[in-house]
Amino acid sequence: MVAAVRRLKDNALSLMFLIMFVLSVCGQAVAGLLDYNDRQVAAGAEPVSLPDYVASSSFTVDVAENWQSEYLQFFLFIMMTVWLVQRGSPESKEPGEEGAESDEQQRVGRYAESSSPAWARAGGLRLWVLSNSLGLVMGAVFLLSWLAQSVAGQAAYNAGRLSDLRDPVSWSAYVTSPEFWNRSLQNWQSELLAVLSMVVLSIYLRQRGSPESKPVGAPHASTGVEG
Amino acid sequence: MRTPFVVPALAVLAVAGCAVDTASPVRAAERFHAAIAGRQEESACAMLARRTADKLPAPGQTCADALREAKLGPGGQPTSVSVWGDEAQVRLAGDTLFLRRFSDGWRVRAAGCRPVPDLPYECEVED
Repeated sequence: MVAAVRRLKDNALSLMFLIMFVLSVCGQAVAGLLDYNDRQVAAGAEPVSLPDYVASSSFTVDVAENWQSEYLQFFLFIMMTVWLVQRGSPESKEPGEEGAESDEQQRVGRYAESSSPAWARAGGLRLWVLSNSLGLVMGAVFLLSWLAQSVAGQAAYNAGRLSDLRDPVSWSAYVTSPEFWNRSLQNWQSELLAVLSMVVLSIYLRQRGSPESKPVGAPHASTGVEG
Repeated sequence: MRTPFVVPALAVLAVAGCAVDTASPVRAAERFHAAIAGRQEESACAMLARRTADKLPAPGQTCADALREAKLGPGGQPTSVSVWGDEAQVRLAGDTLFLRRFSDGWRVRAAGCRPVPDLPYECEVED
């Protein structure tokens, strides 16, 4: 029992976000269904069931377009903070530390410790994969989600065009259409603004106890210090 | 922990790639035109989507009268079909039709349609 509670507490942050994610997706499905059926009835079509709506291109494109932008945000943040710094931000390395850093700093190869991941000691391709795994996975999920957005988006877009008595368009025409880029860019701009806000506001503002903030008493000019 | 994030995206692509039933809307379009060609306008009216059938007749006119008056040409052989969700476009040699899937099958929303550049088709029969 004590071990179970301990396990819950050790993973509380992940569990809380997982629960909020599931509740949000369920809420989106229900709200989306009501909105979709409202438009179906107005167009002279039949309302659909929740399972049919969740399996529809309309729901899929709405989910995928948000996923791709979130993973793009984290991918860019992870990769750009390797090479770019922001003086005073706890999200940044110290100026002068730009780059992939030495093996000693990264504790890989002969500098690996007994508790380091096995691939940190391995060298070669395995070390390269481990060294870039976070960016690779975030980037891959971004690309897959964006691809899913394009496929589901084309299906939803074409259903709408046929409903309007217009010709459907090919995938290549869809991914160069204003509809596709409007969906993508409206999400990207908000994600990029959120990162910009986090990087800059965390120079001057504090949140006591949060590792995303500098300690309350840390000077504005101190960089890479997390509280 | 990473796999669960990738699986839904792949599932989306797999679902999107599923085979689509294009035969049913083509059959519905052919049956509609066969009824018109056989002067069975009442049968053809029964194949229309409800909103189309309601909107078609002028005051004092029946749906069958209105279809007769519309003078739809011959349908001919199917040349192409597009199905997206519950909507379909069937091109026959002599006509282009738009259909919608309802719980009792595919019904004709619009027929006798001519393309208009950058705008919706103009149709003799539409909802």
